[in-house]
Amino acid sequence: MTLTTADGLATAPAPRLDWPFLAAAVLATAVLVALVLLDGQVPSAALLVLGFALGAAFLKFEFSFTAAWRRFLVRGEAGGLIGALVLIAVAATVIVPVAALVPGFGGAIAPIGPSLLIGAFVFGIGMQLANGCGSGTLYTAGGGSGRMLIALAFFIAGSVVGSLHLPWLLDLGGIDPVLASAHFGAWGGLAVTLASILAVALLVAFVAARRGASFLPRPALLVGALAIGALAIGVFLAGRHPWSVTFGFTVWGGKIATLVGFDLSAAPFWQWPGPQRALAESVLTDTSSLTDFGMIFGAMAAAALAKPFARTPWPPPGSLLAAAVGGLLMGWGARIGFGCNIGAFLGGVASGSLHGWIWFAAALAGSALGIRFRPLFGLSRE
Amino acid sequence: MRIVYAIVFVAGLAAVVADHLTSPSSGRAVSPEDFAGACAPCGAPCPSAKK
Repeated sequence: MTLTTADGLATAPAPRLDWPFLAAAVLATAVLVALVLLDGQVPSAALLVLGFALGAAFLKFEFSFTAAWRRFLVRGEAGGLIGALVLIAVAATVIVPVAALVPGFGGAIAPIGPSLLIGAFVFGIGMQLANGCGSGTLYTAGGGSGRMLIALAFFIAGSVVGSLHLPWLLDLGGIDPVLASAHFGAWGGLAVTLASILAVALLVAFVAARRGASFLPRPALLVGALAIGALAIGVFLAGRHPWSVTFGFTVWGGKIATLVGFDLSAAPFWQWPGPQRALAESVLTDTSSLTDFGMIFGAMAAAALAKPFARTPWPPPGSLLAAAVGGLLMGWGARIGFGCNIGAFLGGVASGSLHGWIWFAAALAGSALGIRFRPLFGLSRE
Repeated sequence: MRIVYAIVFVAGLAAVVADHLTSPSSGRAVSPEDFAGACAPCGAPCPSAKK
């Protein structure tokens, strides 16, 4: 972009940097890092910085689970989906063995039952309406999309509603988590996990080829997958559990609900030790909140570094309504289905937990339905 | 939209800092999975534990 004079002659290039928002994002991260370091919590500072890098990486590489799934379902193109599987494979190489062998570390596990299936399916519908999943909502909202700010607000609200329904859905039954390393040992579990990722990659490539579509990821997407996979390993090593996004939203929503007068203390979900502690203690002691804050600020910094921040006009009302409905469905679905593309799909599969694949299948089916709903809100199916 | 962003940014950051300064923080950051009996990233119990 260049500035032009009244007679149309080009003069100096317009500034691409948006200093106020860039400085604000960096300063906000520095403030939060300083607060946790004052408490002596180096791993917390690492989670904030890693989240910052993740937000910047997602924005820089335009890494999107939602668009990749939609391209696969609508056109048969599998490159984005295979890029995501590469990311998961990278993370699995560390998560499966370390979670199995090193005390204090653990994988992302979850029970398998109606709750998982229903939650993932509803999440899949929501992600296509909102046009972003958990991580996508964070980095696009942080990156200057007002539409996704609305999706994020409703995501948070939906996850609190989901927290009230989850215990009831768990009562419908299910089986305990199925973990590859529990059956085949640390290294056998890793081999089984990588083999399952390869099998799914070959399957989606086969489907793409049958539909005459491309299945090779763009080189930039592959670089992004490797970078984000390495950062996901960093989050795992700093937090001792795989990266998760949506529990942070539930905690934020729970704190807001409490602040405006709702008493969540009697709700079974908020009596479980983890959520109870998260609600009572500082939000900066919750691992998912730390990476979430970092991601928002990282995406904001990366966006402000590239062009003037948040200069686009608000989208039409139908699109905003889709963001709200999609956010609500994602929030509810993520809480009922034990996470999003990050916590359940990436974290689950990279931990060698069967629930990750079941979540993926159910969310993909939900996405197929969500794509059909998009025209109702004035959105294209693609 | 920039004004909306500026307001949300300042309010959000202020809320996080205020929450941190007014809430207890007992040691390192944790995930709900760190607690005994947790069977999911949100801390839900295992089905076998409920029988």
